[in-house]
Amino acid sequence: MTDLSEAQIIRKACAGDGSAIRLLYERYAPRVYAVVRRIAADDDLAQDYAQEAWIRAIRALPTFRGDSRFSTWLHRIAVNAALQALRKTQTRTKKEAPMPATVPVGPRMGDTLLEQRLEAAMDRLPDGMRQVLILHDVEGYTHEEIGEVLGVTSGTSKSQLFKARARMREFLSGLDEKDMQNGAEAWSI
Amino acid sequence: MEHLNLDTLARLVDETPSREERHHLEDCTRFRTELALLQGQTHALGELPDLRPPRGDWAMLEARLMSEGLLRHDRSLLASTPAWMKVAATIVLFLGGTGLGMALDTVGAADSRMAGADGAPFSLVSSTAGSLAEAEEAVRLYERRYMDALVQYRQLLDSEGSPAGASSPESRLAALEYLVAAGQAAVQQAPADPFLNGFLASAMAERQATYRAALQEGSADDWY
Repeated sequence: MTDLSEAQIIRKACAGDGSAIRLLYERYAPRVYAVVRRIAADDDLAQDYAQEAWIRAIRALPTFRGDSRFSTWLHRIAVNAALQALRKTQTRTKKEAPMPATVPVGPRMGDTLLEQRLEAAMDRLPDGMRQVLILHDVEGYTHEEIGEVLGVTSGTSKSQLFKARARMREFLSGLDEKDMQNGAEAWSI
Repeated sequence: MEHLNLDTLARLVDETPSREERHHLEDCTRFRTELALLQGQTHALGELPDLRPPRGDWAMLEARLMSEGLLRHDRSLLASTPAWMKVAATIVLFLGGTGLGMALDTVGAADSRMAGADGAPFSLVSSTAGSLAEAEEAVRLYERRYMDALVQYRQLLDSEGSPAGASSPESRLAALEYLVAAGQAAVQQAPADPFLNGFLASAMAERQATYRAALQEGSADDWY
C-alpha cells in the first residue's frame, strides 16, 4: 500500500478501502489536528472537530479532482469544519488558562517550551483574533483568503491580525525580560 | 512625536513604515526592540510544528466511518488481529446473543449447557429469570464469567508462550480502542441496555489496564 502513489491511495480510499483511508490519516492527521486544535483552543473540542473534518473529507473524496494538492484540499476542509463547529459552540465560556509563568525560559532552551508558550498564548486570544492570527501567521493564508473563509473584509482581517499580534506580545511579555538580560534576541530559534 | 502603539508596530511586521514611523523607529531603541520581538514572534508562529492527535483518535474515527458506510472491513487487518482477540470477539458475540435472548425470553428458556473455563458445566441460559431485573442480573453474571474466562485464556496463552499471547500492548490497545468505540456507539443507540453498558465498561476497564501496562513498559510510541 505504501508503494502506491497518492492518487492511487486516494482512489482506493474513495472506494472505502480501510487501509488506504488509514494511510491518508497517518500521513495527514497531525496537520489536520494542529490547525483544528489551534482554532478550537480546547483539546476535547479539537478531537471532535478533527473527526468531523475527516468524516467530511472522506465523504467528499469523490469530488477531489486533483486540481490542488490533496494536503491543501484537506487542510481547507479541516479549517472550514473547525470554524463551522466553533460557531455552533460560541456560547461556551472562554477559559482564561494561566500561562506557565513559573517555567524558566531562556532564549535557546529548545523549541518545545517556546512552542508551549505560544500555543498557550494563542488559546487565550478571543476567537476572532485567534482565527485570523492562526490563518495568517501560522498557516500562511493571505488576508483575501481569510476574508473568504471567515466572511469578513480583508481590512477587518488585517485589523484583527494586528490586534492579535499585539495581544500575544502582552501575553508573552515575560519572555523578553529574561532574554534581554541574557543579551540574546528573544525569538531566535 | 507621538509614540507608536503596539497595534501599529504589529502592522509594521508586514508593511513598510511611513516616513514618520521610520523616523520614530530610528530615534527610539525601545520601539525598534519591540518591533524586532514582534517580528520574531511572527516568525516563531510560522514555525510551529504539527500536533499529534490524542490516542485512540483513529479507532474512534474508524468506528464512525464504518457506521456511516464510508469504510469497508479490511481483510488484512482482520488477519493481523491476534488470535486471542478473535476468540474474545467470538465469546462476546456469543454471550451477547445469549444475554439478549435472556432479556427477551423471560418465560421459557432452553436448557442449554456448556463447559465453563474451569471445566465445570454451567447453565448458559437461566431458566429461572422471571423478570427483567433477574435477566439483567444474569447478564451481569455471565459478563463476569466471560471476563474471568478471558483472563484465564490469556494466562494460558502466556504460560504456553503462544505467539498470539505475545502481542504488543500497542496492538492490543488498538484493538481495545476499537471495541470501546464500538461499545460507545452501541450504547448511544441503546443507552439503557445492560449488556451493552456492561460490555462498554469492561472494554474501558481493560483498555485502562492496558494503557497502564504500556506506560510501565515504556513502549507506548504508537499514538494512534
